[in-house]
Amino acid sequence: MDTRVVNKGQLPELLDKLAQDYTLFAPVCEDETVTLFKQVSGAQEITLDYTNSDVSPKGCFFPQTEKTLTYTNTGDKLEINNVCEEEKTVVFGIRPCDIKSILALDPVFHGKFVDEYYTNKRENTTIIGLSCQKVASTCFCTAFNSGPCDGSGSDLMFTELGDKYFVEVNTEKGRVLVDAYSQFFGTQDTDQLAKAKAEHEKKLSGQFVRKVDLDGVKEVLDNNFELPYWEKVFEKCLGCGICTFVCPTCHCFDIFDLTNGLFTGERYRCWDSCMFPDFTLMAGGHNPRPTQKERVRNRFMHKLKYHMDRYNLDGCVGCGRCIAKCPVNIDITAIIKDLKEVGQNG
Amino acid sequence: MMEVTQQLREQAKKLLEEKKADIVIGFGQGTELTRTTPIFINSPEETQDLVWNAFCANNLVKYLVDCNNESNNVAVVVKGCDSRAVNRLLVDQQIDRNKVIVIGIPCPGQLDWHKAADKIDPAAQLKEVINNEDSFTVKTDSGDYEFPKKDYLLQKCLSCENPNPVVADITIGKEQPVKNYEERFGEIQKLEELLTEEKSNYWDKKFSRCLRCYACRNVCPACTCRECFVDQMKPMWVSKRNNLSENTAFHLTRAFHVAGRCVDCGECDRVCPVDIPLRNLNRKLLKDIGDLFETPTPGSIEDLASPLGEFKTDDPEEFM
Amino acid sequence: MDRPIPLTPYPATITKIVDETGDVKTFTVEFEDPQVMEEFGNKPGQVAQLSVFGEGESTISITSSPTRGKFLEFSVRRVGRLTNALHQLEVGSKIGVRGPYGNCFPYDLMKGKDLFFIGGGIALAPLRSLIDFVLSEQYRSDYGKVEILYGARSYDDLCFKSDLFERWPKIPNTKVYTTLDREEEGWKGHVGFVPPYVEEVSPAPENKFAIICGPPILIKLTLPIMEKLGFSDEQIITTLEMKMKCGIGKCGRCNIGSKYVCIDGPVFNLAQLKELPPEY
Repeated sequence: MDTRVVNKGQLPELLDKLAQDYTLFAPVCEDETVTLFKQVSGAQEITLDYTNSDVSPKGCFFPQTEKTLTYTNTGDKLEINNVCEEEKTVVFGIRPCDIKSILALDPVFHGKFVDEYYTNKRENTTIIGLSCQKVASTCFCTAFNSGPCDGSGSDLMFTELGDKYFVEVNTEKGRVLVDAYSQFFGTQDTDQLAKAKAEHEKKLSGQFVRKVDLDGVKEVLDNNFELPYWEKVFEKCLGCGICTFVCPTCHCFDIFDLTNGLFTGERYRCWDSCMFPDFTLMAGGHNPRPTQKERVRNRFMHKLKYHMDRYNLDGCVGCGRCIAKCPVNIDITAIIKDLKEVGQNG
Repeated sequence: MMEVTQQLREQAKKLLEEKKADIVIGFGQGTELTRTTPIFINSPEETQDLVWNAFCANNLVKYLVDCNNESNNVAVVVKGCDSRAVNRLLVDQQIDRNKVIVIGIPCPGQLDWHKAADKIDPAAQLKEVINNEDSFTVKTDSGDYEFPKKDYLLQKCLSCENPNPVVADITIGKEQPVKNYEERFGEIQKLEELLTEEKSNYWDKKFSRCLRCYACRNVCPACTCRECFVDQMKPMWVSKRNNLSENTAFHLTRAFHVAGRCVDCGECDRVCPVDIPLRNLNRKLLKDIGDLFETPTPGSIEDLASPLGEFKTDDPEEFM
Repeated sequence: MDRPIPLTPYPATITKIVDETGDVKTFTVEFEDPQVMEEFGNKPGQVAQLSVFGEGESTISITSSPTRGKFLEFSVRRVGRLTNALHQLEVGSKIGVRGPYGNCFPYDLMKGKDLFFIGGGIALAPLRSLIDFVLSEQYRSDYGKVEILYGARSYDDLCFKSDLFERWPKIPNTKVYTTLDREEEGWKGHVGFVPPYVEEVSPAPENKFAIICGPPILIKLTLPIMEKLGFSDEQIITTLEMKMKCGIGKCGRCNIGSKYVCIDGPVFNLAQLKELPPEY
């Protein structure tokens, strides 16, 4: 395993340099209570005092609003121009659960049709992960074979241990970055730090409050579509989009045009939510998911079954944001527990 | 607060057994110690799930709007601020008074669950919450926690106008003292006194991080339009694009749409996932309307028409 | 031509418009770049996304068989914002087209078999791509007897009248049954709804595929009749309509269970349909 060390005191300088040479996304704290991943111009804008961001960093690869093309249609002539960016980017400070979510989104945007808006960003971005220092009461990444210091999927994985950062170099892309900024990356005591990391991870594993057991849950969903259980869950749902918008694995979007005068205009794609009533509404009035019950059921089946069916990857990463942010406390871990019971009781 | 919880359970059970109500909407224990969740009960046994404590911030009145289409009788648990929404929906003719049973509970204030959760062992189980004059004692199986009200109440509770429900068919619990506030709109005045550029920066920062999740709209008892302006494609008033301009347009337009009918329940503020202080917007309009039309907070008096929804011959008309 | 990103349409021109009924028009569309048509490779049953720039995009099934020529035909019913905008366009108007998306009718499996088509109203449009494919000079001898049973509310609502009454009946071993929901002056053909007419015609299931497309009520009433006649679930093919946006299995909108209608559909046989949750 290729490992390095970065002195904690030198991290701000490293981040400043990265911000100069790349488009750097990192966690930023606003108004003392909200942490978001935003583009930063220097280390002084970055906060490292957060358990996890309020909104997931998927926006670095799949932004909420993205212009896809511009057009000019004079009637005689139609011109269509793609708008697809290619900027060298670094995302710093992304937690293991969110790294896993990018891996879960990758097959969605690849496949038979390659979505270059996403794949370009993915190829041009170096992911620097950051192990957790604390486990929130809403966290449950361990239910999905992951953990608070799991760097798989990142290019570099930083773990804060005392006055040093232990760095795991996981990919060629990561190696390239380490070599380019070699003045920051030392090699002393990496063995000791590796041991310290393992202890740190063990300590964190004891902090999880939610014990989530997925055993048998997918089978319940595989064999039962109409469950009376859903009647009880959906009633309190407000039908807002909070869970889908903070969720790191949600990828639904809408496409629409905006005109800019008589002949020109732009096409955008924006996040959309399966919880909104008109998501599946067809012109003509037919709606396959007419009430909140169908929409709530669809969301949980997607997270716990459909994504796995299509891509053989978990549709949920256990970040717990939906639990923390849902105004009416609809809790996926409670639903997992209830579905397990439904399966056991028949 | 356990006493109120017991009485609430008994009353709800009675309503269901006597078939006076088909559904009871109330608070149940949530999945975190510091949270409750709306529960919909239709059998007398389930009433044991009802709770009343200092984590009952949700306004359950919005659910009545959906229930109105069914033929059921619905009982709903309301605090003081929530009860204003009942009056408001009645005047808006969004609910049928004959099908609604209001269970009012005088409220000593609700705790800010984020602030409280920071202090409590997350693995603890809640045993009960005790209401003291200046604080709440949260008893758990791993210890007791004291929360001084002046530091831990929701912002809105610190200037509560109606601790006692303004409309109720059944009242459970002791009447709460009504406080007099000299400066009801203190924080609004502070914002008013900012320079234009400062105000602009303040709101630009907040609206830039709006997710356009519409939780504020969906939880609001004044937002009952079948098709919201923001969902319309023709004409497209506001597009789905998330940028400062569109986000600002959404929030300002919604604030004006509900002006005069907003009951200041504060739910929009509570539900916002990125902490946009939406109450400040709505309360600014509330203050202005109060000054211009000399009306109290909407919903605080039964049958009070919306000042922007009716015309009186002695309305000020400086512009005419 | 460089293949643009899958969400980017190709520019195309409307070269012909036929008024099928009061609210249905068939648009013939040709790509600006003939190379695009060469490489388009649409198969019967596939769909495309049509862009009216400034309004948006809509999923329309391609009603022309690739054997008909170097163009695409789309039959569009005016029912919403985008289709309304399409209907305002004229010959020469420029639109965007991207595709072809979706799976296609299993025309290879159908070789050597007799085919019984059942359609109602605008739903004949997706079937037409397969009908013209199997009836084409190129492929006619690969297929057996072709029967088309089609109905609409009134004579005016019948789509593709020239195909129904002039072109198709002339092709060997092909029969067309047309029905109107109600009696009408001047109409000497069958009167009655499509499902009971199917029962009347009573197609035998041996060596046959039934391809059905129609409004939900037609499908709901016809399927039990097919079962009664002895058709197995694998012999009954249908094509579904769902709201789609991206057409390429990414925007998450058109899912029925774990399947995306834009990738795993819109063509399903009844056995596959029965495995899907009833959410369409």
